[in-house]
Amino acid sequence: MKRQLIEKKEELADTLRISKDISLGATCVALTGKYEAWVEHYKGILEYTDSQILLQGRDGMLCVEGCRLTIEYYTNEDMKIKGCIKAVRFL
Amino acid sequence: MNELLRLFRGYVFIRLSGDCPERFINLCGNKGIFLWNIRREQDCCLMYMRLVDFWRIRPMARKTGTRAVVLKRYGLPFFLPKMWKRMFFLSGFALAVTFWIVTSYFVWDIDIRGNYRITDQMITGFLSEREVRPGMRKQTLDINLLEKEIRQYFGQITWVCVQLEGTTLLVTVKEYDAPAEIDEKIPTPSSLIAESETEIVSIIVRSGIPKVKIGDRVQSGTVLVDGKVPVLNDDGSVREYFYVEADADVVGQHRISFTESCAGTYIKKQYTGRIVKRNYLIIGGHRMDVSPACDFLLSDVIQQTQRPPWFEKLSIPIFTGVETCREYYPLEAEYSVTQAEEILYQKLARFLQTLEEKGVQIIEKNVKIDTDDVSWFLYGDFLVREAVGKKEPISSQDTVEE
Repeated sequence: MKRQLIEKKEELADTLRISKDISLGATCVALTGKYEAWVEHYKGILEYTDSQILLQGRDGMLCVEGCRLTIEYYTNEDMKIKGCIKAVRFL
Repeated sequence: MNELLRLFRGYVFIRLSGDCPERFINLCGNKGIFLWNIRREQDCCLMYMRLVDFWRIRPMARKTGTRAVVLKRYGLPFFLPKMWKRMFFLSGFALAVTFWIVTSYFVWDIDIRGNYRITDQMITGFLSEREVRPGMRKQTLDINLLEKEIRQYFGQITWVCVQLEGTTLLVTVKEYDAPAEIDEKIPTPSSLIAESETEIVSIIVRSGIPKVKIGDRVQSGTVLVDGKVPVLNDDGSVREYFYVEADADVVGQHRISFTESCAGTYIKKQYTGRIVKRNYLIIGGHRMDVSPACDFLLSDVIQQTQRPPWFEKLSIPIFTGVETCREYYPLEAEYSVTQAEEILYQKLARFLQTLEEKGVQIIEKNVKIDTDDVSWFLYGDFLVREAVGKKEPISSQDTVEE
């Protein structure tokens, strides 16, 4: 049922030619090498240590792993993570 | 730009300790509080936030059980109270800034360049008539109109540029410097006549009939070269006269005398050694004495006026100066022979220089200095050679009669 709903949303987004991240509300991650990650469409931070940042997305969680991780800035809309990023995982 | 804005509004660096710093960060995000440079250090979080936001985090900190401690403060709101203690410095700074801003709205100096025939005073006078003078507001200055008026008023000026450089009105002109056109003179019939009694030593005639020869002594008014040239018939009789402009180099030799005198005594300034220095200030055209007036009966005054270095760029007409008064009393003194000779020889040298400039050649020179106990006299007798002859037009009556 949920899968069908997502597929319909994707079709609608294709028809209206709008970005899928807006239509689906999916978390977006843009990586610049392994030193910088820009994240948007999240609900909040679940856990923050200097080796892991766990974010709550709409459909699941996003985990950024690495070392010396800092948050360059944080707003309700987007955030930028800096440090040595080793992995980005969707949980 | 963002950094400047942050500094202007002020921001703080805080340490957040407690059980759920993540929850605090989420709440801040929901309330629109901007956080930056967040980093984790053991059991606490360090972050920056704006000063206005800092006053809003109390309920969130209470709700999440965290505690925010300000570690550092940045920006104007924290800087100003510190500066407030230095009231005089601040007011001086504000006054200086105000002074510079206000004075930059006026013209304080007029600089004229490129003129060599038209004097600075002429241009300054013209500008004053049009109310363009130091102290006027820049806004009231119409540069295009002024350039046009200068060109119209001074015919010799072919190009003019008026511009404002800071608070200086720079007037650059270019004068008409092409060589003056020489009018072709229409020759008028004339003769050369002697101006004074002299002996002719040389004569070279280019046009006209010479009436004297070398060795002749002539009186004042004697015709040297006649402009009336006879045209003879074959039998030697005069057929007609051509009237020409007599032209010749005639050199005459004669004696001239020179007498000069010098008083035997003079007033000598005997300085007492008392010197008073007075400071003064000139603002615009008004002088203000800072020191008390000098009470010397007789004194020499030396003034040294200068513009303070910090006003040089601004060209504000404010000058400072020092006036040095040296007291003296008058003493009657007599010239020694050497002094008198020196003064008289200086006068003689000036006279000889004048003769030399006129092209007079000195052949013989006799100079004698004498005194009558009251004054000194210099008598000079010179044998000179100089160009003689001035043009005397041949009257129209003569030409008609002939």
